[in-house]
Amino acid sequence: MNLRRGAGRLILGFVLLVALHFYARPRLWDSRAAPDFLLLALMLFAIRARPGMAALAGFVVGLGADVLTPAHFGAGALSHTVVGYLAAWGRAVFFPHNLMVNAGFFAGAVILRNLILLLASGSGSALLGPDFLVWSTLQAITTAVAGTVILMFFRNWFAIRVA
Amino acid sequence: MARPRPSGSWLAPGRGGGIGGPATRSDTLLFVVCLVLSVGAIAMPDELSGALAERLRNTALAPMLWLQQRAVEGRTSRARFAAMQAERDSVAFAAQTLAEVSAENERLRALLGLRARAGAATIPAEVLHQTVPTDGRTLILSAGRAAGVPPDVPVIAPEGLVGLVVSAGRLTSVAMTWAHPDFRVSASTETGEVLGIVAPSPTVEASSAFLEFRGVAFRDTVVAGTLVVTSGLGGVYPRGIPIGRVAGVRKEELGWERVYRLAPLVNPGRLMHVLILTEKRAGLAPQAFR
Repeated sequence: MNLRRGAGRLILGFVLLVALHFYARPRLWDSRAAPDFLLLALMLFAIRARPGMAALAGFVVGLGADVLTPAHFGAGALSHTVVGYLAAWGRAVFFPHNLMVNAGFFAGAVILRNLILLLASGSGSALLGPDFLVWSTLQAITTAVAGTVILMFFRNWFAIRVA
Repeated sequence: MARPRPSGSWLAPGRGGGIGGPATRSDTLLFVVCLVLSVGAIAMPDELSGALAERLRNTALAPMLWLQQRAVEGRTSRARFAAMQAERDSVAFAAQTLAEVSAENERLRALLGLRARAGAATIPAEVLHQTVPTDGRTLILSAGRAAGVPPDVPVIAPEGLVGLVVSAGRLTSVAMTWAHPDFRVSASTETGEVLGIVAPSPTVEASSAFLEFRGVAFRDTVVAGTLVVTSGLGGVYPRGIPIGRVAGVRKEELGWERVYRLAPLVNPGRLMHVLILTEKRAGLAPQAFR
């Protein structure tokens, strides 16, 4: 019974993040600096999943990103796959019980995702431009803040222990 | 009754934030399969990937896009209400003399034996921005074939040219903006004296993205601040849509060509609302843009 309730809350948590991404984000923020709730969902999944499943989840989320920004199809899938796998694998290194460590984890994921995405889409020169230096940094900060707030209020839903 | 998950589960050992074990062989295999599929998607021909993306947009992602469209419409209507009201008052004032001028124009065209001037047919659309850094190069627009959007038609904003519709799905369409590396448009100065090709700059400046006005004959000089508009050549973009203002000379090619740096008038990353031009024949007056 508890397991079913836990699974229900977990699914509800991910639905909440999808709703935040597609409904709340466009109403409130400039898209370039807005928190990426889909990447946040991927990270919350990766923290508790096996690396293989996290890579698969990253591939699915990335494919969705490619479909919605078809400038360079496949670049999103590649970047999210790598980030998902590394996040699940890296749990062993970054002990994720601390709220600030989790925030850094989310920010690092955004930077790494954007770095791989720009390189895979043949935009290496953009790494020196505002797309990466300014907007990616702002997005990493806002995503980390949003992730921290979500962990503070919904950590039981995602079954994540935070000290 | 809570029971521990079997080792073959998707959950890592020590769920709830504990330290998991190293990746198993099956994890590595799944990761490699996903990587291969991603690389395959990158190498996929544009036609195939475009068709796949359109199918997914119209099926699996349709509810999400519908949700985002409602959100953008809500934000647009809230943010633009005051500006729209002010513009409506100005237009209403200008329209008081429009009927008289229009009738006079028709009489004069009839006297000269000219056919009636075709109007510019447009379809409004909301821009559905995403959070990845390549978002400004292609934009998802909230109008598709169902709203009458054909492929290969220009997309404009109140400030000037945004880009071109590259594919039109049933409910949404994809626009390639001037920031896309493949974007090209035949252009001229506002007076039409100097012709060239506008393309995105391959180098990235520290402060902002720029366009290039290429292929300008060495004998022609364009002063800084000159407005560059679409020339109407090529049959895709009508004449007169503002693209940008000349910001200086970028390079000179061996005494036969000058390349000018162009500051674009439209920022695709901040657009909320665009117009899709479905009538290509009609020329547009640059003064119509602000």
